[in-house]
Amino acid sequence: MRIILALMLLLMPGVAFAANDVVLSSAVFVEKTVADAKGRAKTILEAPKIVTPGDRLVFVLNYQNMGSAPASDFIVTNPLPGAVSYQGTPDEAAQVSVDGGRNWGALADLRIKEADGDVRGARMEDVTHVRWPMRRPIAPGAKGKLSFRGIVR
Amino acid sequence: MTKLLKLLAAISGAAAATLGVTPAFAAGTAADTNVTNQASVTFSVGGVPQVTPVLSNIDTFKVDRVIKLRVQEADALTKGVSPGETGAWTTYTVTNDSNAPVDIVLSASQQVGGAGAHSNTDNFNMLSPSIFVESGANVGYQPLEDLAPPSGYLDEVAPDAVRTIYVVANVPAGQVTGDVAAVDLTAQAHLGGTVGTQGTAVNATNFPQNVANGANTVENVMSDTAGSATGDAARDGKHSAKDDFTVSAAALTVVKTSRVVWDPVNLTSNPKAIPGARVEYCIAVTNAAGGSPATSVAVSDTLVSTLAPYATFGYWTGATVTSGVCSAGTNNGSAAGQVVSGTIGTVAAGTTSGFYFQATVQ
Repeated sequence: MRIILALMLLLMPGVAFAANDVVLSSAVFVEKTVADAKGRAKTILEAPKIVTPGDRLVFVLNYQNMGSAPASDFIVTNPLPGAVSYQGTPDEAAQVSVDGGRNWGALADLRIKEADGDVRGARMEDVTHVRWPMRRPIAPGAKGKLSFRGIVR
Repeated sequence: MTKLLKLLAAISGAAAATLGVTPAFAAGTAADTNVTNQASVTFSVGGVPQVTPVLSNIDTFKVDRVIKLRVQEADALTKGVSPGETGAWTTYTVTNDSNAPVDIVLSASQQVGGAGAHSNTDNFNMLSPSIFVESGANVGYQPLEDLAPPSGYLDEVAPDAVRTIYVVANVPAGQVTGDVAAVDLTAQAHLGGTVGTQGTAVNATNFPQNVANGANTVENVMSDTAGSATGDAARDGKHSAKDDFTVSAAALTVVKTSRVVWDPVNLTSNPKAIPGARVEYCIAVTNAAGGSPATSVAVSDTLVSTLAPYATFGYWTGATVTSGVCSAGTNNGSAAGQVVSGTIGTVAAGTTSGFYFQATVQ
């Protein structure tokens, strides 16, 4: 992973903040249930080589402040891939959007207006974006990991 | 695996259960769909918002091809047939639960013994079973509309599409009521994608399972359940279901009774069978309960030379029979010499219909 991050740095000529570089990477894993040596079912995460509708996915985002100054107002945003139904994130501070990123909040506070005008509470599968606003600045060199779950529609 | 990933893996089952959101997958996302993920980050440095967000790499994988066919018996009823019936048909549905179009090759096979589809037991085989596809014009098998699959297979059946299939066969003449013939219909998936071309059969030989190639290739994952036909296992690219034909033959019994209705001396008062007397004959035809209707039932009776048909009374068919005495009905029979005949027509299972006439004692 470090090699990939370093490579990415080298390959990103568009990055304009020479002293304040932030890097972000995305990886996806698929959860498979396999039997261990004693026949017990266990869940493993593997590269998404065989993925079919209904499979459970884990998206992992790694970020690091490679610059020399703290990065504040730090917000990581991830639009959901179209074929993926959101299944939550372990981070309670995360916010979601069900309207393409215009409005944000906790899922329970969001509403969906149906085609016939009815308004209902938003559901997991309505989520279009998820984001993580960081309360504290990211110090130089600091790094972190975010994740969320999805199901292939 | 990092600590976070381990945690995620550990709680995954609980999460799926408590969240309780199970998307309604019919066929699901189409095979070969790219799932791409890219996150971005915005931030400020020294209180100055950085205008251009930093983008992550684009992480991509392809949704693989799930091959799953489902054959079902359509009406949950056995098909009642008569001995010697031709063109008897039973109905199945074939559903493409795959996330890609497939070509489907259908085959019908006779079960030999064993349990039928409806709490019965197979004990004979139908003759020359063949397969026809509902055209959509009229419900039920219509010989002029519902044709065999062109080129021997169903071409490019879309995900979630359902086809109605008829297995049409003839009943051997010698079968008796209660005989059962079970027939398995098997649907074998072939890869779709090219109209008018039958794709490669999907099976473990052509597509070994659990061999992952890569995130950006499309693998073929067989996901069908085991079917009713011999050797139709789960995850083998095919599926089958059975339906059955049950014979319900008509079983006719005929009872002939007579009574003297008039003689030249006593007239109708306690008449005797003396020369010149008239005797009424009632021929009752009964079809046993539980069988098929008997159609085109015709009755004829040759009178002995000491009797002559009494044309004035008439020759009555479709009569009601009560205690051996016929009544009502239609006067449409006939007599030719000593032979008296009439056509009763259809006698439904569990009913009796009579033919009656009078004859003069010579």
